[in-house]
Amino acid sequence: MKTDDHRDWRLSLGAYALGDLPADERAALAAHLEGCAECRGELRSLEGVAALLPLADPARIEEPAARPPADLGARIEAQIAAESAKEGRQRRRRRFRFGLGGAVATAAVAAVLALIVLPIGGGEISPAQKVRFASVPNGVSIKATLEPHAFGTEIHMYVSGISSGTLCRVFLRDANGKTFSAGSFRYRWGDDSEAELSSALDLSRAATIGVHAGGRTFTAPVDQATALVGGAGIDPT
Amino acid sequence: MAALTRERDVREAYSAHSGELYGFAVRSLGDAGLAEEAVQETFLRAWKAGQRFDPEIGSLRTWLFAILRNVVIDLGRARASRPRVAEGGVEPSVEPLEQALLAWQVEEAMRRIGEDHRRVLLETHFRARPYSEVAAELGVPEGTIKSRVYYGLKALRVAMEEMGYED
Repeated sequence: MKTDDHRDWRLSLGAYALGDLPADERAALAAHLEGCAECRGELRSLEGVAALLPLADPARIEEPAARPPADLGARIEAQIAAESAKEGRQRRRRRFRFGLGGAVATAAVAAVLALIVLPIGGGEISPAQKVRFASVPNGVSIKATLEPHAFGTEIHMYVSGISSGTLCRVFLRDANGKTFSAGSFRYRWGDDSEAELSSALDLSRAATIGVHAGGRTFTAPVDQATALVGGAGIDPT
Repeated sequence: MAALTRERDVREAYSAHSGELYGFAVRSLGDAGLAEEAVQETFLRAWKAGQRFDPEIGSLRTWLFAILRNVVIDLGRARASRPRVAEGGVEPSVEPLEQALLAWQVEEAMRRIGEDHRRVLLETHFRARPYSEVAAELGVPEGTIKSRVYYGLKALRVAMEEMGYED
């Protein structure tokens, strides 16, 4: 076999793989393949894609490739950022719930205000603090978690044992007795989600948190002095 | 990239793979709006499951296409469950989607190879025109057409392999 023949045969392998060679050339190339391992190997590597070609639609090949709209990436980023923020809130909520879940509302019969301040996470120093309103009627439970933010204080309220539909108005009060509204919510039976509220008063300046509900006002002290210490060391995770 | 958990990772993955993912989504769903929805959902799911992506197991591209495939199936089902479409009673099955992915890969690979090779493969194979006729039209010897078919197929194979194709 001459080298040039081999090269010529090799260049015919594409047409052979696609079944385009006239019968006489096809037979001659088949004879060459019998004795040429290199061409047989090359043919095998072309046959795979040649077999897939019929799947393609020639009209689509000649169309320009479809491109996503220019703003799709930004839209996806925005959606992920929103999901990310939502997930962060849910994680915090789960964490707080676990820490408060074991509390028995009816235990709060003492006439004094009890303040529970726990660090969030085992040994982790967190500026967030939990508050339980102790001066409430039997069967009623009011709890809150407070978190400092640049805008003021984020407040999550957990209420149970009061009449469904009761309007609850929440406020923070500073050491001088000045009141800052934290908004309002309605308690609904069967709805275990807490109310998310916010107040413009910085947590570091808040002395009291209060709730007006059903013609009564319940308050609990907010104590920064104990907010940052180790406390009971309960691991809520 | 060890996992796809940071928003920056998603941005990089988007710039590297969104074109292909969108191209396949348009090809399989036949609708640009649905394709956008599919790509958006794909990256959202990828981000949510980012911890599960393991580059030791497969490429990011392969992983994203696997997610897109599921999204396309879900969107196809949602569309099929609407009464007007459901009259046909055809649940989109997995097989045509795998075939659609292969078909799209071949079309995409054909777009990526050189113009000379693409032209010759289109005329001789897809339009079944004789080599001599195409040679005369292009003003080249017939042997050149044959060699372009050969090198065109080789280039097509390389382009397919870049998209994850294996024999």
